[in-house]
Parts: sequence; C-alpha cells; structure tokens
Amino acid sequence: MSMQREESLTTTGEVITNYTINFGPQHPAAHGVLRMVMELDGEVIERIDPHVGLLHRGTEKLIEQKTYLQALPYFDRLDYCSPLAMEHTYVLAIEKLLNLEVPIRAQYLRVLFAELTRICNHMLNMGAHILDVGAFTPNLWIMDLREDCLNFFERASGARMHSAYFRPGGVHQDVPEKLLVDIGDWLDNRFFQLFEDAMSLVMDNRIFKQRNVDIAVVSRDDAIAWGFSGPMIRAAGLPWDLRKSQPYDVYDRMEFDIPVGTNSDCYDRFMVRVKEVYESAKIIRQCLRDMPTGPIASSDSKVVPPKRGEMKQSMEALIHHFKLYTEGFHVPAGEVYVATESPKGEFGVYLVSDGTNKPYRCKIRPTAFSHLQAMDFMSKGHMLPDATAILGAIDVVFGECDR
Amino acid sequence: MTVLHSAPKFASNEGVIDAISETISVWLIEATEAHGEVIFRVQRDAVARVLQILRDDHAYQQLMEIAGVDYPSRPERFEVVYMLQSLTKNHRVMVKCSASEDTPVPTATTLWPNAGWLEREVFDMYGVTFAGNPDLRRILTDYGFEGHPFRKDFPMTGYTELRYSEEEKRVVYEPVVLAQEMRTFDFLSPWEGADYVLPGDEKAPPAPPAGEAKK
Repeated sequence: MSMQREESLTTTGEVITNYTINFGPQHPAAHGVLRMVMELDGEVIERIDPHVGLLHRGTEKLIEQKTYLQALPYFDRLDYCSPLAMEHTYVLAIEKLLNLEVPIRAQYLRVLFAELTRICNHMLNMGAHILDVGAFTPNLWIMDLREDCLNFFERASGARMHSAYFRPGGVHQDVPEKLLVDIGDWLDNRFFQLFEDAMSLVMDNRIFKQRNVDIAVVSRDDAIAWGFSGPMIRAAGLPWDLRKSQPYDVYDRMEFDIPVGTNSDCYDRFMVRVKEVYESAKIIRQCLRDMPTGPIASSDSKVVPPKRGEMKQSMEALIHHFKLYTEGFHVPAGEVYVATESPKGEFGVYLVSDGTNKPYRCKIRPTAFSHLQAMDFMSKGHMLPDATAILGAIDVVFGECDR
Repeated sequence: MTVLHSAPKFASNEGVIDAISETISVWLIEATEAHGEVIFRVQRDAVARVLQILRDDHAYQQLMEIAGVDYPSRPERFEVVYMLQSLTKNHRVMVKCSASEDTPVPTATTLWPNAGWLEREVFDMYGVTFAGNPDLRRILTDYGFEGHPFRKDFPMTGYTELRYSEEEKRVVYEPVVLAQEMRTFDFLSPWEGADYVLPGDEKAPPAPPAGEAKK
C-alpha cells in the first residue's frame, strides 16, 4: 500500500489530512486497559502507538518485599485468564535455585492443571476473538466450558481464579479422586460436543474468514526477530513449543503434537489455538491415566510446611510450621531465568536471590510485550476494524502485560 | 551437582562457555555457569557488538527479555541483563553489563526490533539510558511520573497518591499520607550473622575478648 502522504488532494481541491484517534483505554475490544493512539488515513491505519502501563501495579517491587511463598499469589493476578500457568513458572524458578526434587504425583497434578488452564484460557480468548469480529453465540457456549474449568479449580484449591495451588516443592493439597474422575467424564461426555458445536459455527464461516484470513501476516523471520512465542510463532510455521523443546515437570512423558500454521495470519493463530485445545485434552487424558499415587509435595521440611495433623503430634513439625509461615525459607544466592509455555507464549521469571528469605529481584517476562509491540507493523495498511481482530489474535491480557 | 529439580531442560551447557568466550574474549569480563545458567559479563560499551556476535555467529536468534537490577552498594549500581534464546540449538544464555545513571548502554534496537520496549522499561524503572534508542519514553508508569520506581531507594509507597475529588470533579494528585508507618519485619535469625545490636543488648557491658575470658 502506498499511503504515506500526510495530505491528499481531492478532486475539488480540498485538503484532507490524516487524523488521530484514541482507541481505548475504555473500549470493549481493547481486552482490558489498552490505549492505542492511531493515525488513520480515512479508515486505513497508518501508524499505531500502543500505550501500555495503565494497569501497572508494581508487582515486581511488591514481590521484593515479600517472602518467596507470600509472593506466589501475585502471580495469579498477572494473567488472570490463566493463573496456574503463571504460578507454574514461578515455583519452577524457586525449585531451580533450591535444586528441589518434586514428587512425581505432584508433577502430574501440575501438568494436569496447567493444561486445564490452557483450555480455560483459550476458551476465553477464542470467545473474545469471535465476539470482536462480530459473532455472538459461540462465545456464550464456550464460556460455559470455561466455567466448568473454573469449577474444577475450585474443587482442587478452593478458589475459582486465584488458586495459589502450585507451591514450591509440589502442590498445596491432593485432589479428591472424584475430581479426577469428573474431569475425565467431562472430557468424554461434555467438552468436545459443546466445543465442536461452537467451532463449527466459526471455522468455515464466510464472515469469520473474511475478517481474519490474510490479516496481519507476519513472516517467519519477523516472528523470530520480534521475539514472538506461543501460538504467534507457531502460526508462522515454526514448530516451537517449550513443552516439547525444553520439557519441564512430566511433559517429557506426554505424547502430543504441535499444531503449526502455514499462512501466519489471524485465522491461523485462531486455528492453532483450536488445535491446541485438542492436544491439551490429550495431555489431560494421559495424566489421568498415568498419574501414580504418592506424596504431593517434597519431603524437604525446610521448604514444605507440615500437615496440620502432624503439627498436633510433633514438636518439630510445629517449629517448622512457625518458621515457614513467619520467616519463610531461605533460597541460596544466585540467579535463574526460567521460561515455560504459558497459553499465550513464553512466560519467564528472572529470579535473583541474595540468600535471604525474600527475592532480591523478580523480573517477569510478559508474553504480550513483544507481541503488542509488533502491533504497529502488523496493522499498517489494514482497516480500522481489523485492529480488533489483530488484537484478539494476539491474546493479550493487561494484568500480565503491565504487571 | 545432580539436577533434582524439574525446571525446563534445554540443551547441555557443556562447551558453550569455551566456544563463546573465544569469540568475545576482548570484551569479556567474566563467564560463569551456576544453577544451570550460562552468564557472560561483558564491558558496557561492547554489549551491542557482543549481542550481534551471539546472534550472527552463535545462532542465538531471539532476544527474549532485558532485565534491570539495582545494586546500590556497587560503584556502577545497575545491571542490565539480556536473555537470549537459540531456536536451532535449543539453548539459552544471559549477557549482562553494569551501568550507572550517567553511563548510557548501547542500544540493541538495531539488532532486534523488540528491544525497543524492553529498553524503555529498564529506563522507566531504573533510569538507565540507552544510547541510540530512537524512542526512549517512559512506558509503564503514569503520564508525567517522576523518579524511577524500581530503584532500591525508591519507597514502596511512592511519593504521590491520587483520588477522585468530589469538589473538583476530577482525579487529583496529592503527596502520600500514611495512616500508619510502613511495616517491615526483619525475619533474619539473629544467630545467622545479623550485623546489628539486638534490642536490649546495648545495656549489657561489652563482652570481653575471647582470649581473656577466664583469668
């Protein structure tokens, strides 16, 4: 497109200049509090300057004032659409510094709930994406499935969203047997029927395709250079998935495929997520099938607090409980960067410890930062309504982007 | 040390330090491997050059993150840490350099376009400047914010607070007033090397030196 002119002449000799509009920060399609200053030529986007930080809460600064365990719930509040995936990275970073072994059942439980979180996240994102480009019904249907996932989280941890379920050394509590049975039943009897019904309305829908195919095409090289990850890089045709290439917990025991796109447009990003949901279901089934019995947290009592029953019997357990919930555990000095495959892409935690009970520095790598930064070049030359489709396909959540 | 944890496992670190140190030896200050992470500390002025060598000759194609860290006791108090990832070798390394408020770090925006926002964030939070970054504005803090909030000497409460004023019908900024003092607890055990006098101990006479204890 060749629309670089600042002014264009009309047939009658009047001069039309580009104009600038504010998209957000209060806009239903902004997926939270995003303000984009858009320069438009008519209805064609010339330039976008995204202003982020409207939800900046200083999480990283707050974490420096808290013990390692007290800092954990902040991670639920980063990407509030996939809270357990955020916790996962953080506990793995602590365990890496401590070099702490996690029992196998706890690893299975974490993978199970991380994948359930992925489904939960994709339900919200795909629903919102579909809604942004004008379809209403599928969102209502798949939001119902998200509700089911949240109910499962509630049964495991007591909280629907801010679970604080993963802990350094394992998980907080074991799950009831009935919950695992119910998750299996849900996959067999409910999930796919509803999901496939909803997807059948959009996948081959003419309007949906017109709004998404060939929108925001990003080449492979650009995707790498801009630091893309997750579905954004996979849609560009790169089979890059940290669960596969840099496995953590029991992902190396799981059998699953990495869906990739061919065209690297918004439609491919959407379809990658659709296929990922099937792969996540596959992983959940394997977890349910292979999960052994056994302890759900490390036996290192200097890190993992004792059970309540134990505290009533053993003086040592009582002392450990008191120490862990006041002083917390000490983490050896050092620094690690741990990145996992969150539903939105690579979510990383750079943790610097100075040997005390509080992190010296905890830098959080949000997935949305590099994706949103590419918004300008992805939208150039597209129409104004396409911006919402591009934003929907990025899958951005501001709790995580702004921290 | 045997690896017991289940954090992400990327390709082996074996030989990486040697292979990379050889090509960047001129600017290298220190190369370390600890907790399974390979870290290169390099001279500040050469950081862009080093990153380019790592990208072009060692196939670290992606810049995932730039982190700032504040160590107030050091002569150059800030550290800028670059996390690189290789998609082809399935490996990660970190490159870091030190900086102070008035020593700009060469920008990485010429190498990776996504460095722009990452550098803006470090600038916003710590006040480290990046020479050559074309758009070094604040990014996360409020419009018109002053100071660099993630510095260790910046109070956690900040200096201003805002509220909606019913009289003026708009949001007003005011200096922070704390109803009670910020509570910070010292949980470090005194017998694990605290370097202060415990409350009450100042009344006791100083302990005699160990040698003269029994006479």
